[in-house]
Amino acid sequence: MNDRVLLHGNAGDAALTDSLLAPLWRTPSLWWMLFVVSCAGTVLFVFSIYWTIAKGIGTWGNNIPVAWAFAITDFVWWIGIGHAGTFISAFLLLLNQKWRGSVNRVAEAMTIFALVNAAMFPLLHLGRPWFFYWLAPYPATMGVWPNFKSSLPWDVAAVTTYFTVSLLFWYMGLVPDLASARDRAVSRARKLAYGIFALGWRGSGYQWQRYRIAYVLLAALATPLVISVHSVVSLDFAIAQLPGWHSTIFPPYFVVGAIYSGLAMVLMLLIPLRRAFHFEDVITEAHLDRIAKLMLAMGLMLAYSYAMETFMAWYSGDHFERYTYLFSRPFGPYAVLYWIMTALNVLTPNIFWSRRLRRSTPALFIASFGILIGMWLERFAIIVTSLNRDFLPSSWHFYAPSWVDFGLLAGSIGLFGMLFLLFIRYVPTVALSEVKRLRLELANEAAGEVAGA
Amino acid sequence: MAQLFPRWANVAARAILLALLCLVVGVPLGLMAWVRSPNVTSLGAPVSQPVPFDHVVHAHDLQINCEYCHATVMRTAQASLPSTQTCMPCHSDTWRKSAAFAPVRVSLARGTPVQWNRVNALPDFVYFNHSIHVAKGVGCETCHGRIDQMHQVRQAQPLTMGWCVSCHRDPTPILRPVDQVTTMGWRPPVSQAVLGKQLLVMNHVKAPTDCTTCHR
Amino acid sequence: MTDYAALFTSAQEMDEVSRRSFLKLLGASMALAGVDGCTRMPAEKILQYVEQPPEVTPGVASHYATAFSMDGYATGLVVDSHEGRPTKIEGNPLHPASLGASTAQQQASLLQLYDPDRGRRIVQDGRASSWDAWAAEWTPSVARSRVGSRGEGLHLLLEPTSSPTVASLLDKLRGMYPGMGVYFYSPAGPATMPGGASLAQYDLSAADVIVCFDADPLATGPMSLAYARQFADGRRHPATRMNRLYVAEPAYTCTGMAADDRLRCRPAVVQGLLERVYASVSHGGASGAGAVSSGFGDGADAWLTNVLADIESHRGRVVVIAGDRLGPQGQALAAAINGAIGATGSLVWTTPSPLLGAGDAGSNLAKLKEALDANAVSSLVCIGGNAVYRSPGSLRLGDGIRRVAHSTYVGLHADETSQASHWYVPLAHYLESWGDARAYDGTLSVVQPLVQPLFGARQEVEVLSALAGEAAADPFTVVRSNWQSAGHAASDDAWSEVLRKGVLEGSAYPRGASGRSDSVASAVGRTGGPGLRPVEDHPDGIDVIFAADARVHDGRFSNTAWLQELPDPITKLTWGNAGLLSPATARRLGVATGDVVAIERAGGSMRIPVIVSPGHADNVLALSFGYGRAGAESVARGIGANAYEIWPAVGTFVATDATVRSAGAHRQLAITQSHWSMDARDPAQSLSLAEYQRKTPAPARKRQLSLYQPDAPNGVAAQQWAMTIDLGNCIGCSACVVACQAENNIPVVGPDDVRKSREMHWLRIDRYLDGAENDPAVSLQPMLCQQCEKAPCEYVCPVGAATHSADGLNEMVYNRCVGTRFCSNNCPYKVRRFNWFDYNAELAETERMAKNPDVTVRERGVMEKCTFCVQRIREAEISSQVDGRALRGSEVVTACAQACPTRAIVFGSLTDPGSEVVTSRADARAYQVLEELGTEPRVQYLARIRNARAAEEQA
Repeated sequence: MNDRVLLHGNAGDAALTDSLLAPLWRTPSLWWMLFVVSCAGTVLFVFSIYWTIAKGIGTWGNNIPVAWAFAITDFVWWIGIGHAGTFISAFLLLLNQKWRGSVNRVAEAMTIFALVNAAMFPLLHLGRPWFFYWLAPYPATMGVWPNFKSSLPWDVAAVTTYFTVSLLFWYMGLVPDLASARDRAVSRARKLAYGIFALGWRGSGYQWQRYRIAYVLLAALATPLVISVHSVVSLDFAIAQLPGWHSTIFPPYFVVGAIYSGLAMVLMLLIPLRRAFHFEDVITEAHLDRIAKLMLAMGLMLAYSYAMETFMAWYSGDHFERYTYLFSRPFGPYAVLYWIMTALNVLTPNIFWSRRLRRSTPALFIASFGILIGMWLERFAIIVTSLNRDFLPSSWHFYAPSWVDFGLLAGSIGLFGMLFLLFIRYVPTVALSEVKRLRLELANEAAGEVAGA
Repeated sequence: MAQLFPRWANVAARAILLALLCLVVGVPLGLMAWVRSPNVTSLGAPVSQPVPFDHVVHAHDLQINCEYCHATVMRTAQASLPSTQTCMPCHSDTWRKSAAFAPVRVSLARGTPVQWNRVNALPDFVYFNHSIHVAKGVGCETCHGRIDQMHQVRQAQPLTMGWCVSCHRDPTPILRPVDQVTTMGWRPPVSQAVLGKQLLVMNHVKAPTDCTTCHR
Repeated sequence: MTDYAALFTSAQEMDEVSRRSFLKLLGASMALAGVDGCTRMPAEKILQYVEQPPEVTPGVASHYATAFSMDGYATGLVVDSHEGRPTKIEGNPLHPASLGASTAQQQASLLQLYDPDRGRRIVQDGRASSWDAWAAEWTPSVARSRVGSRGEGLHLLLEPTSSPTVASLLDKLRGMYPGMGVYFYSPAGPATMPGGASLAQYDLSAADVIVCFDADPLATGPMSLAYARQFADGRRHPATRMNRLYVAEPAYTCTGMAADDRLRCRPAVVQGLLERVYASVSHGGASGAGAVSSGFGDGADAWLTNVLADIESHRGRVVVIAGDRLGPQGQALAAAINGAIGATGSLVWTTPSPLLGAGDAGSNLAKLKEALDANAVSSLVCIGGNAVYRSPGSLRLGDGIRRVAHSTYVGLHADETSQASHWYVPLAHYLESWGDARAYDGTLSVVQPLVQPLFGARQEVEVLSALAGEAAADPFTVVRSNWQSAGHAASDDAWSEVLRKGVLEGSAYPRGASGRSDSVASAVGRTGGPGLRPVEDHPDGIDVIFAADARVHDGRFSNTAWLQELPDPITKLTWGNAGLLSPATARRLGVATGDVVAIERAGGSMRIPVIVSPGHADNVLALSFGYGRAGAESVARGIGANAYEIWPAVGTFVATDATVRSAGAHRQLAITQSHWSMDARDPAQSLSLAEYQRKTPAPARKRQLSLYQPDAPNGVAAQQWAMTIDLGNCIGCSACVVACQAENNIPVVGPDDVRKSREMHWLRIDRYLDGAENDPAVSLQPMLCQQCEKAPCEYVCPVGAATHSADGLNEMVYNRCVGTRFCSNNCPYKVRRFNWFDYNAELAETERMAKNPDVTVRERGVMEKCTFCVQRIREAEISSQVDGRALRGSEVVTACAQACPTRAIVFGSLTDPGSEVVTSRADARAYQVLEELGTEPRVQYLARIRNARAAEEQA
């Protein structure tokens, strides 16, 4: 039965707290190396942004017909990744999944940072970013409003809401742990810093009672957002009549894909973290196993979506749909990317039928990496292969990205890495309170069993 | 262990939270107020000119019709500025010697235009047409105010798009008989509510709100 | 005319509306267009006229008639002027060579006027000099000393001209220098009848069958606008009347693309076929009975059979036209055929050539070359023409001119010829000059200036007068007095009438009978034709054929960006030229599109990238002049390859002695279209005449089923604007594309962005090739915003920058656009364009003056697209309202429709019963592109009718 164990060893609360807060007090040299790399990436990001704003969108590879390309791909990719956090913490909380407690903090942090990136691309993508606020409904002196028929104003609303709620939810969960960090901190500066953000948490029964209620309420509020955000994002394509976009399957298909890539990113962060700070006792094979199973499920649903949209394209008998799905994507100019995408997204998760591989960190790590690439390519395929050959053959044209396109993609990954590194350095990476609670529950269960015998 | 924070920290914390809330709400509201202020619309501020031309004297005291100087207002998009020659019939002797009048003399002698300062400026992407407004019974006064009472001309209306479309959506409150467009301080003989509706029909006033009405 | 020089010196002289066009301002103001886009303008000066010019109404365009000359033949134009800035060129409806239409080059000559690279100062041996200094050196008293007593040392090289004023000035000079040599030269230009003194004229409107032998009457030559209109009239209403066009040619031309039955063949075969036709018609009528053997293969046999059969069955209503490449002999043969088949008189006639020195062999460039070689030239004056670049490389004209002790080049730009001359004098643009010119049919026009020379350039008349010792002569007086002495429009009323109308009525030459001139017999005797060896002599040898480029002509427009970026009608190539090859020949040479070939001749060699062109004749390499410039022009320099380098000789446009091989290099050509098949989507439809006659007009289409209520706005306004484009009459000449660019301030993006598919043209001409690679069916389709009633672009725009107007326009609001580009993604026609960069940032002040003040110049980051020339619509609406009258739909015409020579584009209001746009929609040919998408376009197309005899026989 030990393969189901969510918590190894029998360390007491104090010991747990010490081991889980350890990253705050000591910095491995590996951290510094990664930090320098990610900072370099961030610099590249900033420069690419400057170049875009200073010179214009022309510095990208975009053209007519391919007016959307890398930037929107990056946007959808990042926002997709940003789904796992709230899924794990809110969804699984409501489903009363005990195991979530050990991993939700990392997942939520990842969500926040992914959203920071995601939110940047639509802004950069505007021809005149300095007028971004025209997408927001406010009483303008022009006496005109945004066009609510378009999905884009809703997009803005959905993403900002999701970001706000995720941030609150994350911070909410942090409060008790910040308090423990405050109490364990040595330097006065740290004490004060953690103290301020702990908002005077004492851990009194009264506080705990209110806290649990608020936390569950917030979870209930966040859960529908997991569905809504990517559904709205998918409408950015689905409301168009472009072959390859004009499809009612998009909302669920996008949400599934989003959680899929999000889980992959969680694993890619957890596995090294767990190793580096020896969290094996808290983040056990059982946790990895469960995430892998989720990924398998999502992967299969995604495969179904692929099959379905292709079948519908053929079944519709529509010339343009058929051309896009049955010729342009599999055999057109971007066929190679399409097949790599299909292989990575459809085949990879099937290794998780094997229990051994579900618990092998190398396998999990590599698979997750492949899936992240695959999911980026999926968005690229949807956007570019639909645009570069649409209705009138005379306007068909190839698209090739510029160095700025790559700079923005690589740079955003750099920024993400930097933020995450700072996070594990200064914020409790595992939810102490949740783990301790888990330990208590497990102990009670055990006691119960003894009593029952 | 020792208290980390003094008692007042509780109050401070609450205060800060409140302040943040106010900021989130207040900043947008402030901006919206600001863009409606004269700082942005440049409403009302008298504009000094190289020649102290006085509309009160010309338009009110001497009762010179707007069209005498702004000659093309009835026919073309622009009201247009009078050429230097236009001043000469009267000013060949009056004020001829005064220093104030010097720029006009120079202009005439050198053939170089007088550099007036613009009062009513629209963005370059707005194509306003004077002739159609005048032809449909929109008075000069409606947009330019009581010019006959301005020693120094100033912008009388905000000239924001919202202000423009408010009339285009319902022109009845400002319509007047076409022969009265240049009259200053014109009052409707009957209630404007009634008159406006009549003029709307009589003059076939469309006042379209298509974007290309002004933006081309 | 007001004093425009002042106007140039500072834009400040212009009033507010004109200043709109100086769109640095827009950029700036919109950048600070802080919250809410309603801009707070920077403190701004406004200026008034000191003295109001009577003809100028601020903000209102005035129109002046003038004439544009190319290769010596005039086309009448009407030019719009805003406060003295020429802003748009249109054709003059009263002029026989325009009929209201205009060519792409005429449209673009506006930008040439404002070209900042034009010569700005008089230069002597690299040092800035002055007009007085130049005049002093060339005034007779001084010049005589070096040109000999009879002036035999003085030589003048002019562009071909038909100007009576120039003629009289030359006579005056001959009076002073009896021995003076005068030469006229331009590389291209229409072939004349043998002897050069007379020209063949056609009336295609009455012809049932038109047979073209390597001829492009519809898009090349001084009468192309008129011929295109006549051709179109012969098939405008196929139900009642449908002519048939035969073309035999080596490389596609616009006429070839319009042909109902086209044969691709080598030049010698064209010649041979022409002779076969002559042979059969001259001996008592074409052998209409049964198939004919041409000896040039099955394709040629079939073609020839059909031609002869049609000649037989349409006697008296058939016109045979020989192309310029066939030279005077070809013209003579064609004339003989036309005589034999009874076309002469009604459909074909000759007139004397209006060109000076026509038929005088002594005025050829060759003669000048001889004089130069004999060192008999002590003083040389070249006026325009850039002969050094435009003459055959083997002629080495530049070296000859360099040896001349006293040489002057008077030209628009400091170019190759000025580099070879001691003096350079900037030549005034025709829009800056007084002058006169005759049309191809002799009709006399006055060339009147719209602005004073922007760069202090000198007019041709001034220069010639100065040579006659009158450096201070006023060009106007010279022209006017010459007209008076010639008895044209002597009275001032008559004169102002000519200025107003742009033509001197009744001045066209009388029709002469075209009978068989003596030279016909001699021409007929020949087998080879001009410079052509029979094909069988060199079956695998490659014929290199030369022609003036469809865009930059002989190079005179190579610095005009509008034309550099205009896609070639055949290849859709921009920013350069290429050698055209047939697929088979390309395979044989082992090259593909973009690969560079090396061409070697005894005379010289060159390297040029090729384009593989389906329907092109095998073993033929087609080159165009006008590229590979080495002058001081910044736009032209380094673009394309110079075909003059291997051009055999003046008047010879085929080289049969060239060797062509792959050079192993590759260039990425800036071609605007990358996929040539319609891919079974059939956007550009066509059908045979028989199919059309069987087809009944489609019943008034019921709207697509929709979940939504029909939109309210459509149908509420008095006008409902719409357009119909007749694909049967689109010949792909591309005048509409440049007209649109000029009217709507469309920026030029340059070759790099064209390669990235970022060209900005609101109106493009799609060209589809379907069927066999050797004989594809060509379909041309002008594609512009379809002004959909259910527009996919509108509902996806988050800020409502794409909206619908009450009169059915699909509006694009630049100043509201934030540039999400969603509208472009959702546009099935991909006609929306995006400002990837600030394309107007680098414009010179003069180029800004070419902008249309009634159209916003777009900022970086906003979308734009065809607006149906909404500025013209609103202008017409307002003026009709101010006048208190109802607007008629026919009052508004879009820039593209106005320029179109065939009137293939019809614009108007659907609420205007009986108007062409309404009636055209009832035609059985009418259809919407991608109708199945339910976008309900306001632009409809009329399917093309392919009227081949073969199809007729099947039916």
